Amino acid sequence: MKKTLLVALTLGATATAATNVMAGGVDPEKSRIQLVEYFQAKNPNIAPEEYINGAYIYNEDKFMQWEAAEEFPPYLDAVDAGEALYQQDKAVYDKCFGSDVTKIRNQYPRFNESTQQVETLEGQINQCRADNDLKPFKWKKGDIAQLSAYMAYEARGQKINVDASSPGAKEAFNKGQAFYVEERGQLGLSCAKCHTYNAGRKARSNTLSANLGHTTHFPVFRAKWQELGTLHRRYGGCNKNMRAKPMKAQSEEYRNLEFFQAYMSNGLEINGPGYRE
Amino acid sequence: MLKMKMKQFLTAVAVSSACVAAPSVAFADNHGASAIEEGKELSFGRSKGNCLACHMIQGANMPGNIGPALVAMEMRYPDKQKLYDKIWGTPETIVEDSMMPHFGANGILSDEEIQKITDYIYTL
Repeated sequence: MKKTLLVALTLGATATAATNVMAGGVDPEKSRIQLVEYFQAKNPNIAPEEYINGAYIYNEDKFMQWEAAEEFPPYLDAVDAGEALYQQDKAVYDKCFGSDVTKIRNQYPRFNESTQQVETLEGQINQCRADNDLKPFKWKKGDIAQLSAYMAYEARGQKINVDASSPGAKEAFNKGQAFYVEERGQLGLSCAKCHTYNAGRKARSNTLSANLGHTTHFPVFRAKWQELGTLHRRYGGCNKNMRAKPMKAQSEEYRNLEFFQAYMSNGLEINGPGYRE
Repeated sequence: MLKMKMKQFLTAVAVSSACVAAPSVAFADNHGASAIEEGKELSFGRSKGNCLACHMIQGANMPGNIGPALVAMEMRYPDKQKLYDKIWGTPETIVEDSMMPHFGANGILSDEEIQKITDYIYTL
């Protein structure tokens, strides 16, 4: 009995130590390079730049259908609506983000050293509105997604360049990464199980997309939604599919996850908003 | 008649699970066809077993391909109990980073439902 207890305690201690290493010690750049190399080894014929196109890269027919849909994309009206929202309060946004609309999307997500928190584009849009006596938008869809889509559209082609060099930023990255690999929900799934280890494989007829390039095309217009939705809306839906409790949009968990995922996509082009099934 | 056999079978399951701590299969040679049929329904449906999310089963529409195809199960699992344990998710059957949910351990399916699925899968 004593021996069993000792073994259990030792195992517990080892597990705790392993978790600590995972939470504190991973270098973001090393992790990113490993991910790129992992996908290159998995699919040598797919270049890293192609991962911005999601699960469509795995199937030629589906890619062609998607490309055709992107020629007259269903999100254009929403981008126009986003532009109108931007023009309406441009003076305020100029104060917060500068006057060049093409230079807003790519500032985020970023780590704020004074608050020691990750800032996202949508979070800062609403922060900016609140600071200037404008009513913040509702999260996840509608106005916030349209304005975000317009800012992404204006920043298309720019390369993602998230900075995670400070100790605080590294910690946020590591928290995001830990969330990504942790099992949650009744099915015992993790983000990594689908979008890293099994990316390209099919769950019934749905192809699983890769973590690499995941954030480049958000917000997305999903056929399933018939409207635009933000990255955090998608996170919530994903967690529900896993039979796990979804976090709130702009919660610290999702902001850190976005920070981790965006960092992993460093060097890839912004191509949002995107059309997805 | 079938109903009675089912009853005997269920009693056997109940008795054996009451006797041993680990979930156990009652080895009855006379599984009713209806149990296998119910097992098939559970395997195909999305809300319970959802085997098709990841596994190919011959004759099923658009299965996933995350896990191995469910073929030649008797050959792969000469010991049927091991197949039951794999679906239930007993500690020794767990593969690290595998997508396979632990259906019994996490309460996704009852032991009885897992038994029915095992009976069905074993016919493949």
